[in-house]
Amino acid sequence: MFCFVLLFYFTVMRLTKPTLFTNIPVTCEEKDLPGDLFNQLMRDDPSTVNGAEVLMLGEMLTLPQNFGNIFLGETFSSYISVHNDSNQVVKDILVKADLQTSSQRLNLSASNAAVAELKPDCCIDDVIHHEVKEIGTHILVCAVSYTTQAGEKMYFRKFFKFQVSNITMVNSFYTDEVFLEAQIQNITTSPMFMEKVSLEPSIMYNVTELNSVSQAGECVSTFRSRAYLQPMDTRQYLYCLKPKKEFAEKAGIIKGVTVIGKLDIVWKTNLGERGRLQTSQLQRMAPGYGDVRLSLEAIPDTVNLEEPFHITCKITNCSSERTMDLVLEMCNTNSIHWCGISGRQLGKLHPSSSLCLALTLLSSVQGLQSVSGLRLTDTFLKRTYEYDDIAQVCVVSSAIKVES
Amino acid sequence: MEDAGGGEETPAPEAPHLPPLAPAEQQGLLFQEETIDLGGDEFGSEENESVSEDSSPLVDKLNEHMMESVLISDSPNNSEGDAGELGPVRDEAEPRGEGDPGPEPEGTLSPTGEADGDCAPGDALEDKATVPGTGGAPRQDAARETPGSEAEAEAALPEQTPPAADPVPVCTIFSQRAPPAPGDGFEPQMVKSPSFGGASEAPARTPPQAVQPSPSLSTFFGDAAASHSLASDFFDSFTTSAFVSVSNPGAGSPAPASPPPLSVPGTEGRPEPAATRGPQAAAPPASPEPFAHIQAVFAGSDDPFATALSMSEMDRRNDAWLPSEATRGVLRAVAAQQRGAVFVDKEKLTMPGLRFDNIQGDAVKDLMLRFLGEKAAAKRQVLNASSVEPSFVGLKQLISCRNWRAAVDLCGRLLTAHGQGYGKSGLPTSHTTDSLQLWFVRLALLVKLGLFQNAEMEFEPFGNLDQPDLYYEYYPHVYPGRRGSMVPFSMRILHAELQQYLGNPQESLDRLHRVKTVCSKILANLEQGLAEDGGMSSVTQEGRQASIRLWRSRLGRVMYSMANCLLLMKDYVLAVEAYHSVITYYPEQEPQLLSGIGRIALQIGDIKTAEKYFQDVEKVTQKLDGLQGKIMVLMNRAFLYLGQNNFAEAHRFFTEILRMDPANAVANNNAAVCLLYLGKLKDSLRQLEAMVQRDPRHYLHESVLFNLTTMYELESSRSMQKKQSLLEAVASKEGDSFNTQCLKLA
Repeated sequence: MFCFVLLFYFTVMRLTKPTLFTNIPVTCEEKDLPGDLFNQLMRDDPSTVNGAEVLMLGEMLTLPQNFGNIFLGETFSSYISVHNDSNQVVKDILVKADLQTSSQRLNLSASNAAVAELKPDCCIDDVIHHEVKEIGTHILVCAVSYTTQAGEKMYFRKFFKFQVSNITMVNSFYTDEVFLEAQIQNITTSPMFMEKVSLEPSIMYNVTELNSVSQAGECVSTFRSRAYLQPMDTRQYLYCLKPKKEFAEKAGIIKGVTVIGKLDIVWKTNLGERGRLQTSQLQRMAPGYGDVRLSLEAIPDTVNLEEPFHITCKITNCSSERTMDLVLEMCNTNSIHWCGISGRQLGKLHPSSSLCLALTLLSSVQGLQSVSGLRLTDTFLKRTYEYDDIAQVCVVSSAIKVES
Repeated sequence: MEDAGGGEETPAPEAPHLPPLAPAEQQGLLFQEETIDLGGDEFGSEENESVSEDSSPLVDKLNEHMMESVLISDSPNNSEGDAGELGPVRDEAEPRGEGDPGPEPEGTLSPTGEADGDCAPGDALEDKATVPGTGGAPRQDAARETPGSEAEAEAALPEQTPPAADPVPVCTIFSQRAPPAPGDGFEPQMVKSPSFGGASEAPARTPPQAVQPSPSLSTFFGDAAASHSLASDFFDSFTTSAFVSVSNPGAGSPAPASPPPLSVPGTEGRPEPAATRGPQAAAPPASPEPFAHIQAVFAGSDDPFATALSMSEMDRRNDAWLPSEATRGVLRAVAAQQRGAVFVDKEKLTMPGLRFDNIQGDAVKDLMLRFLGEKAAAKRQVLNASSVEPSFVGLKQLISCRNWRAAVDLCGRLLTAHGQGYGKSGLPTSHTTDSLQLWFVRLALLVKLGLFQNAEMEFEPFGNLDQPDLYYEYYPHVYPGRRGSMVPFSMRILHAELQQYLGNPQESLDRLHRVKTVCSKILANLEQGLAEDGGMSSVTQEGRQASIRLWRSRLGRVMYSMANCLLLMKDYVLAVEAYHSVITYYPEQEPQLLSGIGRIALQIGDIKTAEKYFQDVEKVTQKLDGLQGKIMVLMNRAFLYLGQNNFAEAHRFFTEILRMDPANAVANNNAAVCLLYLGKLKDSLRQLEAMVQRDPRHYLHESVLFNLTTMYELESSRSMQKKQSLLEAVASKEGDSFNTQCLKLA
């Protein structure tokens, strides 16, 4: 019977970033029993920081101690080592590393050329990298084929399985108009530095990031020094989206489901271990404006109690082909009183055209008040459109000076 | 990484291009069906498909898989293991205490010691008289026999304060020989002197009037120190370091029952009979004997300043502490009533005792027995508690050669001799400067060894280190005029830090804040021209400056601990703030601390902030020239490249450091780690091995060995042999405190 000789030692080790060694500082004072002894021991310890031995975080790098977790968007790196344990020369060695995911199979090997020969006690090394783009089970398939001295063709494989989980949870909220609030939660077990969280808008929108404030000419993040997310921390990023001029004009276009854009998140963890994630296109259901849309062009944020103030409304005919003849009615609420004539004729409004309307009102109640009670009636169809909670104003006592 | 174990079910997605389709592979096609077992299962033969029919033996070879989680440090297993040993250890220890037939049966500790309690005073006196014959006489000879230590002792002598030189006959536990230095408690120079040969004349004249049924150490250490000289050295070390012991009920010494035979006028203060100290209340040990003699010393002089003077300035500075209101009340009562009985609630007293008697063990030797056989293991020789002289000198010897387990043992023995041994917890006892120092060393070593649970158990009786009997004022007769706390400052730090290692960092912070409050108050007092404790001060300007320096540095040490604790809690923002404040206390450590903060930023992944700090370091170090600053700058640059995933550049900078400082362990190790990430396993191994071989004494560090063994596992099937040869190297260089886990043998 043919006696087979064990030829290869074949291992794969995941290369996460190394970690820094921490030591346990124990000190004493000159006058204590051990005298300088404890401090001397700390000085002799190569893992302590020279000159600052009490500092816990040392400079010594240690190799990863376990496989750890891998998350979507991170880069999976591995060391593949094939070592010739035998005392014979092996020929035509081909090491192949493939990654099988639930949907595809990728070749990760740096080179697909066979090594002509491998002498005893020599090894073939390969470091593979792969940016993980799918969640779920991944299997690293490492195959080695070679020819023995006897000319026999050999082939064997090893499988390494790992799970990829989602690193951040992105929840998006859309406010009525054009604000996008993205919640990002760190669901890993290690702190995470958010290097970049940006919204790449679709062609229809311009985006303003509202996550930094200008302070003394410098852009300061609203998160200040808390640049990192602790495990389970959630952070909210706010974006203001404005339709581009050319689309805003055509009110009809922004209707139904629109694509807003996608979030691009880049984070770093231990020693700069990098991860990057892009969400799929975030969609937004454009609020149904119906046939007639009323939007606010101008409104003061703070007004005096019992003093008239002005707002400017814009009325747009959103219907496709119908010209409207509109009558404006103003109904007082508990706090808001409209000044002027109710039941005013606004005249004809053609499709996709709009008109601006200056209105005066006053509030009889202090506090945050909602502007409500506008009614538009289309006399052709005898249809009434109600507009409540159009906006809020802060009503303050007139004793307090309102800053313009 | 876990192998996709689980033999037959392993999918073989690549199967189609293998002509002979094994059934296993067909199953494998059903890839999506989660058929893989994770973890434990080793590779089955089927998954190692081979074109050759005879390839199945290959399988055995392939069963190894790389990733196993290994904890380098502070594994709870560690302490659990030791806790497990407690049972047998206890059994072992008790018979020894009882059964050892020593030369002085009356003098033995614990059970036999209790017999002493019944002795009439006369008996006790007789008892004492036998001491010089056995333990006492050879002692001086022994002192002479160690010329080195004597020289040291002589050097130390002149520094003693004058009162100490007076042959004040105060009883000590172990002999009546040494003069207690009432005002000069625990000076560093005294600690260093192992045997006070030079001082021996005075005690020689001392009549043995201070009768203490001293626990006979020669019996206690009978097995350990067969020769007399060792035992007597032990005596010396205690006496010379002013191991002034008051009657110690815990030690089984019926001190109060033994009256001072040579009564000096003015000693009308009769001791409280032992019986009056009920279990619920205990009076501060009135310690009649020392009191008598101190009275004798000061009987002539009514000068109230005499006592004040006897308290050295250095002691005052070091021992100062602000007791809590309740403790202050007790201490005031003690001071007011002098010899009267002040009853203190038992709960407010500190009654420590060993909670485990022997943790001695040598994990290195155990591993050798397992892997290298008995013959090899027999070669392993480390010092243990019995192989050094049972004294502070021996203790230091054990510590410095890294036999910390043995040192813990020795501390235990010395504490047992003081009556705070195994099982004595909860029994009334009294404290001295030395007993607390011994506790500090023992607990500190337990922490260093990662035996946090054990340290916690033994720390527990000390409460919050503020009980009245931990203050010198509680023993006005033993330490006349001395004020402040016996608890070493470092022990307070240790006490606070311990909690963070036990997973209660919040408690650590609370304790550290309490320490910080006191430090700040003391500093404020000093800056207002008062004494440390807020009293009026007659200290010189230099004295005050020295005191301010000391307390500032202590405050800085507290801040350091807070910063470290916050770092452990991963509260990086506060940790960085705290490290910044440490810089104000230790400005000389600014570059190191800024680099450390930069590394913290790197750890979070905040590369930009790290870069900013590293630039600050470069600015600071520009002012200093010298190798250290340059190395720091290069090290930081290397780390920055590491953060940018540029291992090649990082390696270049680590190598650059090695050009300047070839012995730099960190640069060596880190360069090797970079090589691995660059796919150069063999080079990496060569670098680490060369470093360990060059200076094994220094570089057999657990982090280096961990890296080395990890690479051996990656490299070849011969990792086991290579690890075993590392074990041999460790065995010949390292003491019993070596953490064997990094060898990944078990």
